[in-house]
Amino acid sequence: MTALIWLHEDALRQDHPVYRAAGEDVISCFFWDEDYLKEMDYGFKRLVFIYETLCELPVTILNDSTVEGLIRLAENKSCEKIYIPATPNPLLQKIIADLQHLLPVAVVEETPFVSLTKNLDAKRFFHYWKKAKKLAMQPSDS
Amino acid sequence: MRCSRVIELEKVFNDRKQLVKYVNEISPWLQGSNASSIMGGISQVERQLQDIDPIKYCRTRNFLNGKVTKLSPYIRHGMLTLDRLRNEALTLCKDPQQIEKFIQELAWRDYWQRIYQQHPNYVWDDIESYKTGFRADEYEDGLPEDIATANTGVACIDQFIKILLQTGYMHNHTRMYVAAYVVHWRRIKWQAGAKWFLHHLIDGDPASNNFSWQWVASTFSNKPYIFNLDNVRKYAHAEINTNSNDNVVLDASYEILTLSLFPNKGMKQ
Repeated sequence: MTALIWLHEDALRQDHPVYRAAGEDVISCFFWDEDYLKEMDYGFKRLVFIYETLCELPVTILNDSTVEGLIRLAENKSCEKIYIPATPNPLLQKIIADLQHLLPVAVVEETPFVSLTKNLDAKRFFHYWKKAKKLAMQPSDS
Repeated sequence: MRCSRVIELEKVFNDRKQLVKYVNEISPWLQGSNASSIMGGISQVERQLQDIDPIKYCRTRNFLNGKVTKLSPYIRHGMLTLDRLRNEALTLCKDPQQIEKFIQELAWRDYWQRIYQQHPNYVWDDIESYKTGFRADEYEDGLPEDIATANTGVACIDQFIKILLQTGYMHNHTRMYVAAYVVHWRRIKWQAGAKWFLHHLIDGDPASNNFSWQWVASTFSNKPYIFNLDNVRKYAHAEINTNSNDNVVLDASYEILTLSLFPNKGMKQ
């Protein structure tokens, strides 16, 4: 069964763990979503930068609204699940939440810089650094 | 909801000029202008990783011509992870302590991302009160035109803004100078400056950018960040105009600037 990967602007590379999670038979797409890009208010230089990057990736670029486009693509290609890189961006999270109501979605976390509890109680960087330093100063296994 | 026909977009171009023209065509909501000299693409990441010098970075990072990596646009868009960059940097030193500052800067980004994930509203809300002696409502909401167009009349600030507008990139130290000028010299809400930076910076990230503005403003730090002309002279290169007559409002001691910028500081609100 073919898996569908939605690559968004926070994860523009092909060795993101989302590819491993989705398996070998994948369709990977990026949406040049006018509503989203307008909302993010990116300048032209940024759009060129993103587009240049997409041209080097094995990804289909579609000029469409993200949610509707993904549903249509999943139907047309008989994809049962959409794999999406995790993101802190609330706008992307809203899109992911909308999709989750409509079809199975797997959100795949990025390789961490340091493995610490997610809900870190760190009101200042100093508090974080005290907990993270030892791990941060050594190479990870990845 | 848009009902336009779905189109698979082009990916192969003869040259960069043709690609830029195409991006202009598929982004009709923007008045297309020039592309940055900073190029996108995974191949750029690999190229620039060959050039990093984390030990030199630690010695020179505050200087405007210091050995910074300029990898932030690639990190911002997930093309390069903090994990990989840290691992690459560690192969270039004998002792990790030699590059602690380098790794700490990566950690700052990780810290901001964690705060963003945990408290998305912090990105646009004041996390704490200003520690400047002023209430938030005493700051202006919008960014004045003279700042947006690099016509403040403060020579070095105008040069820094021009670099932002022309390249979509700024050295971190100049971001701090401009942010401090906007918030403390002009008494404009940090949100206005943060929004402006996010529009122009190719590496603009809601967490790193906005929390740094809050750090400068003092709504996410213990005191406001300010600088003076002597500080710019110390870190700038010869192309930056640091003449006293062209930068009058910056040319004073920290004591005098603190008194003039924050006259109410220390007084009960």
